[in-house]
Amino acid sequence: MASLTLDHVSKRYAAGKRGISEPLAVNDVNLAIRDGEIVGLLGSSGCGKTSTLRMIAGFEDITTGTIRIGERVINGLKAAERNVAMAFEGYALYPPLTVGENVAFGLLRHKVPRDETRKRVARIGQLLDIENLMDLYPPLLSGGQQQRVSLARALVRDADLYLLDEPMSQLEPQLRAKLRARIKEHLIERSMTSVFVTHDQTEAVALADRIAVMSDGVLQQFGSPDDLKERPANLFVAGFIGEPPMNIFDATLDIGDGAPRLRVSGTDADDLFSLALPASARWAGFAAAQKLKLGLRPHRIRVGDASAGSLTQGVQATVVSNHWLGDQSHLGLALGDAFVIVVTDRDIDAPRDARIAVHVPLEAVHVFNAASGLALFHGTGG
Amino acid sequence: MSTLKLAQLSKRFGENPILRSVSLEIRSGECLVVFGPSGCGKTTLLRLIAGILESDGGDVLIGGESVAGHGPQSRGVAMAFQNFALYPHLSAFENIASPLRARGIDAQTIAAKVHEVAQLLRIDAVLEHLPRQLSNGQKQRTSLARSLVHAPAVLLLDDPLRNVDAKVRYEMRLELPRVFRRFGTTVIYVTQDYKEAMALGDRVGVLLDGCFRQIDVPARVYREPVDTRVANLFGDPPINLVPARPQPRDGALRTDLAGHDIALPDTVWGVAGRECLMGIRAEDIALYTEARPGAIALQLEAVMPFNVRNVMLLRCADGTELLASTPDDHVLRGARGQQRVWAEIDWRHTLMFDRQSGARLAA
Repeated sequence: MASLTLDHVSKRYAAGKRGISEPLAVNDVNLAIRDGEIVGLLGSSGCGKTSTLRMIAGFEDITTGTIRIGERVINGLKAAERNVAMAFEGYALYPPLTVGENVAFGLLRHKVPRDETRKRVARIGQLLDIENLMDLYPPLLSGGQQQRVSLARALVRDADLYLLDEPMSQLEPQLRAKLRARIKEHLIERSMTSVFVTHDQTEAVALADRIAVMSDGVLQQFGSPDDLKERPANLFVAGFIGEPPMNIFDATLDIGDGAPRLRVSGTDADDLFSLALPASARWAGFAAAQKLKLGLRPHRIRVGDASAGSLTQGVQATVVSNHWLGDQSHLGLALGDAFVIVVTDRDIDAPRDARIAVHVPLEAVHVFNAASGLALFHGTGG
Repeated sequence: MSTLKLAQLSKRFGENPILRSVSLEIRSGECLVVFGPSGCGKTTLLRLIAGILESDGGDVLIGGESVAGHGPQSRGVAMAFQNFALYPHLSAFENIASPLRARGIDAQTIAAKVHEVAQLLRIDAVLEHLPRQLSNGQKQRTSLARSLVHAPAVLLLDDPLRNVDAKVRYEMRLELPRVFRRFGTTVIYVTQDYKEAMALGDRVGVLLDGCFRQIDVPARVYREPVDTRVANLFGDPPINLVPARPQPRDGALRTDLAGHDIALPDTVWGVAGRECLMGIRAEDIALYTEARPGAIALQLEAVMPFNVRNVMLLRCADGTELLASTPDDHVLRGARGQQRVWAEIDWRHTLMFDRQSGARLAA
């Protein structure tokens, strides 16, 4: 087990035939990953997350920058020399070996005694529900089964670092919750430093201690799921993390006579509502006409009975839909021409077309610079 | 605007029976969701109803009349797909107008109808754009507008939100019921997402192994699933299924939950002495960091934030695993596991299934 450090790492793929230089696929990424930490690289396809993982693994050259495992610089080392265990989408299982033999392969190659190997293979088999597949050959397995065997093969080993590429993309949905939990427990119990790549923010938030959100090769924010949800660095991160996604509105700041108000508008620039903000020196830096964006997380907006600490007074919306999903309610509200999503874990009595009071507490408020996307204020503090 | 009846519909591909004698009656204006895992036959069923595929047996009746031998258009059936299927060289306006132009309707009426449906689907601002200039969400709205504009008797939607991004998917899930109601169209909506089923369906038909295992309002499919398979599919995290063998003792029905003696509430399920599976939903397990009377001591192994809740993996002393889900601001939310916790189960919602057959045992 070891720490993993990426220092100003960039990747540019070789120019094509016309000699036109490719843009940076990975652009000056810095990550300090602690020993035993689980880190997710998250972003849409093309954002640079897979290129980053492949550089850590040794499948891609590093254009500039350094990667260290512990104190050891691994830039020049071949993949097999890095003491890294991997479960990659293209990294196929060995067809002439059974599932059991595939999983045991890395252990036997590193001279782990047969008895010990047998025990560990059995344990990881139980963890990933592949015990009854041990005598089968890979071509007979479904996509989901192959993926579990590939994970078993990586996780059973003793390595400094574990790299997982979209580790659960093929998993049968019914198994996902339990296997995710067991894998997380396994990694934490054994302090296994791990990095996984995913485009699914639900998966990243469930598994990772910290998440590196990437877009166009650039690291947008590196923080815990809580940091990303409560204090997103910019509009991109705010919109990417969290399901249902954050409600975003156009807004401007009105610093009247010391009582700052955030005026929130719909598409036709009419005011939808305004928020009374706490007095603070920070508002002085905001120009009066500066275009802002207001972000409100669906589960922080409160509806119904009068709520203390609300920054909105007397704002009413019309209920478009109210769906109870067994463990939470999803409400769709029409506020002027805006559509607002609210989530609560109560079963709310709000029939269609009813008018309902909307309350926005300070901790629901996130303000961004509309032009740059950068976060300016989080009601949660920080 | 029409009732839709499926009478013993069957379809096989070679040796493979895909649909076995499927029967269903859908009321005029109802939205019926066909829900099932991948490969269960949902798309085949839609194609049979549309008339794109011929059945091997049974019939489809629209408005009380058999539509066998008729293609989609003469059946009055419109379809919208995952891949939008828009004409790339026509503007959004023209795409939506196309079924009306094909019917020779006059330009003024066309303009009025297109604007009406576009406003309802909130794409009136982008009507002049070509499909390649539209986002996936706008493309899907355009596709839906096109299928609704001529007020079809029956609208078939095959997982239309699958390729649309999360934000738009949420918005549409909340808006679509209003759109369907405005047109009064009878809708069949196919999805693998149980939350979509609960949000959109007046009723949900759970399709497994080529036939409907349960057809009911979403709340009852969730609370009273007909068997363990339906219970498992309808809920995330999936329902906990724990072996139990309740016995009457001391005036109550008692069972063992991972080493703890539990008194089950009064409902008589005919389960005494029977090998059962107890179904406990994740949200019905409340967790505490301190012991309380009647609470079961468990080991918390992992915590996974999950949208607005947290999913916890718990292990009982005998190795039994349970998944619990707690609200977003629960005290254990940042925990990294490896600690003792105490659980209280809301027994009012516990379901009992026969261990052999998986069928739910009811009073």
